[in-house]
Amino acid sequence: MNNKHIALVIVGLAIAILIQTTLWVQGLSTKMRSQAESAEAAENQANAELIREKAQVSELKRQSSDLIDFLQVWLPYFESFDTQQAAEINFTMKVKESNLLNLSQRFDMAPVVGNESIGSVMRAFLTFEDDYARLLNWLGTVEKNMPTVRVTSVRLNKGSRPNELRMEAILEQPLLKK
Amino acid sequence: MQISGRFIDDFKTDRKGITPPLPAVLRLVPIGFYCAIAVAILLSAVFLLQYRIATQKRDGHRAQAGTLATQTANTLSERTALEVQIKKAINLQTWVSGSRPLQPLVVEISRSMGPKANILDLSLVRDEKAPAQVALSLKIGTDSVRQLDTTLEKIASQQYRAFSPTQTLGQGELDYRATLVRQGTKQTSPADPVQ
Repeated sequence: MNNKHIALVIVGLAIAILIQTTLWVQGLSTKMRSQAESAEAAENQANAELIREKAQVSELKRQSSDLIDFLQVWLPYFESFDTQQAAEINFTMKVKESNLLNLSQRFDMAPVVGNESIGSVMRAFLTFEDDYARLLNWLGTVEKNMPTVRVTSVRLNKGSRPNELRMEAILEQPLLKK
Repeated sequence: MQISGRFIDDFKTDRKGITPPLPAVLRLVPIGFYCAIAVAILLSAVFLLQYRIATQKRDGHRAQAGTLATQTANTLSERTALEVQIKKAINLQTWVSGSRPLQPLVVEISRSMGPKANILDLSLVRDEKAPAQVALSLKIGTDSVRQLDTTLEKIASQQYRAFSPTQTLGQGELDYRATLVRQGTKQTSPADPVQ
């Protein structure tokens, strides 16, 4: 092998290196285009997911608008008494304001089963003896002014004095879970 | 002027040790080399351009996908919050529907009493598991069963239906027991508790 052959081989090698480099650059380009396509597919998928999620939220909002309206109206009434003390004071004030003959009053906390939002209730055991109209007006006023209060039990029978009734009532003030 | 033979090449005599020329076809090799350089530069430029464009596209798509994913996460958290609110609303609605005022019912029962009848004992107790159901226990001082019909009409006017009724009449007393279940629309506002 003489120097001309060596020169030929070197030139041949240089051509091969050029081709290889070009192929390498092409490979880079192909790989990047593939990544770009994958990224585009991921974007399309994310977009589809967003559209689906938005549609679900929109549908949920449409279906639950009545419930949400209900919640907005009622929640302040439920939140107005958030502690045992507040509920007890409120019941006591209502009894005092009534000017009814209050024979007994007792308060008790009780858990609420099956309601995840209302953790417990403040139960008021009240016994009155007074005029029929005054008793029922008081009961009606309490139920109207404290719409979240549940009258669990009411019992009416004759009082110890003529023209008077004895009313035993159990009232429950719900306390929301915090 | 005479030049020394030492400094003059002899062009006439063949040089010794010079290799023979390569075949003529191999003259294409350098041509191919130059062409390869030109083509390699051209193609590499094209591929590099494609590479840069693809990189920009990829980065753009990735950024957009990230933004969309954030929006999706926000929407998802919005939905979760909405579901929590719905659950809370259902729970509160359950409470409210089981807390309908009893006073109008008591008043109607009292008003239903005729001149020859009076309430000896009236008890309304909500069922603990189903508060919308009210156990009615009514003892009336009367000799007539018709009084009970009047009272039941008044109870029905308050949109309550009586289930499992039992009644006992004896010695001027009528004992009536039933489970009352309210029929009708849901209460939507605290302002209309007897809707």
